[in-house]
Amino acid sequence: MEVFLPIAEVSVNILAIFILSGIVGVLSGLFGVGGGFLMTPFLIFLGVPPTYAVANEANNILATSVSGSTTHYLKDTLDYKMGLMIVIGGAIGTIIGIFTFTYFKDIGKIDIVISLAYMYILAIIGTAMLVEGLGEIDKVRKKIFTKKKLHVHYWIHGLPLRMRFKKSKLYESAFTPIIIGLIVGFIAAIMGIGGAFILVPAMIYIIGMPTRLIPGTSLFVTIFVSLIVTFLHAFNYGSIDLILVFLLVTGSIVGVQIGQKIGESVDSTNLKTLLAILLLVVGIAIAYDSFFAEKLVNEVVKIDKNDLNPLSMFIKNLSEDVPFLYGLFSIIFAFSLGIGAAFIRRFFSNLRKKYFKIK
Amino acid sequence: MPNIIRNLRSEIKKNKLKTSIFLGLSAYWGIILVSTLVTFN
Repeated sequence: MEVFLPIAEVSVNILAIFILSGIVGVLSGLFGVGGGFLMTPFLIFLGVPPTYAVANEANNILATSVSGSTTHYLKDTLDYKMGLMIVIGGAIGTIIGIFTFTYFKDIGKIDIVISLAYMYILAIIGTAMLVEGLGEIDKVRKKIFTKKKLHVHYWIHGLPLRMRFKKSKLYESAFTPIIIGLIVGFIAAIMGIGGAFILVPAMIYIIGMPTRLIPGTSLFVTIFVSLIVTFLHAFNYGSIDLILVFLLVTGSIVGVQIGQKIGESVDSTNLKTLLAILLLVVGIAIAYDSFFAEKLVNEVVKIDKNDLNPLSMFIKNLSEDVPFLYGLFSIIFAFSLGIGAAFIRRFFSNLRKKYFKIK
Repeated sequence: MPNIIRNLRSEIKKNKLKTSIFLGLSAYWGIILVSTLVTFN
């Protein structure tokens, strides 16, 4: 069942997009990762041009992080002050990232830059996770228990402008979260990812935040970073395709719920090794696609506006005529889907609790 | 010297899994690094 994407100007299989975003959602729920670094390459493999894959995945991440952080907001597991410091760095990093993106787009090298960035990031994370996963399995087998240090001091902790973060019970330089945010924002703008795979380890090992505040604060930061990325991509390039975003969000929200349920009953330590292998396989697939596969000449699909259905025509016209409004609309659209999903989840959760109470 | 080689052999036999993963990762990184260099030259 094919659907024509009016902005990306390609036809994609609805079922394939839904299943893949669902699988990535399951992995997100199971391992607590955003999944953007898997979904963007999958979109590229499905024929969506890298420029569009990056922008639309950023919009999808916006919706899913809004959905996730609503839960943490209600639980009060958020350090707003720390989150805002990271957001300041993230905003600067995102703007630098968009300028870099524009530079490579102008010289016609953006597709290869995105592919290479993904290949190396997946190779680095895959290798690190594989080594860590095998180490953990080895320790469990040999029954070795190591006592970890509470806080390791790096040069970054010696920076000036120290301030108190009451919620995290920390007294640290404001530059620490700002620098981390800067790196995350830069990578998010170029690769269309939330950056949780950098942010979460940095919050644990560099900032030293309490574990219970990490998922909520990470999602809080992701909202702002993906919001800026989405808006800049929509405004500068008109590359957000609302039909694609809707398919991605629906698939990933359903997948995340399934992943979280599986995660409650399965120990994810052993599965971490499998995820590492999956990342390495996707990395090698991108390498094959970039270096060895024969490049197919992409014929530019020229479809007359009158041939589009009313919804596609409305999206295309809105994107071309009022890009600012379209950018705002894509953000509101993602927010509505995210909040709507959080409420549906709460409704079903309450229904289940009620049902079990009756029983 | 022969002792080192003998020890190395027994160590490799003992840790077959680790050795194969190390070789696999080395090959993986070799392929992507060489391919990048070849593409850009």
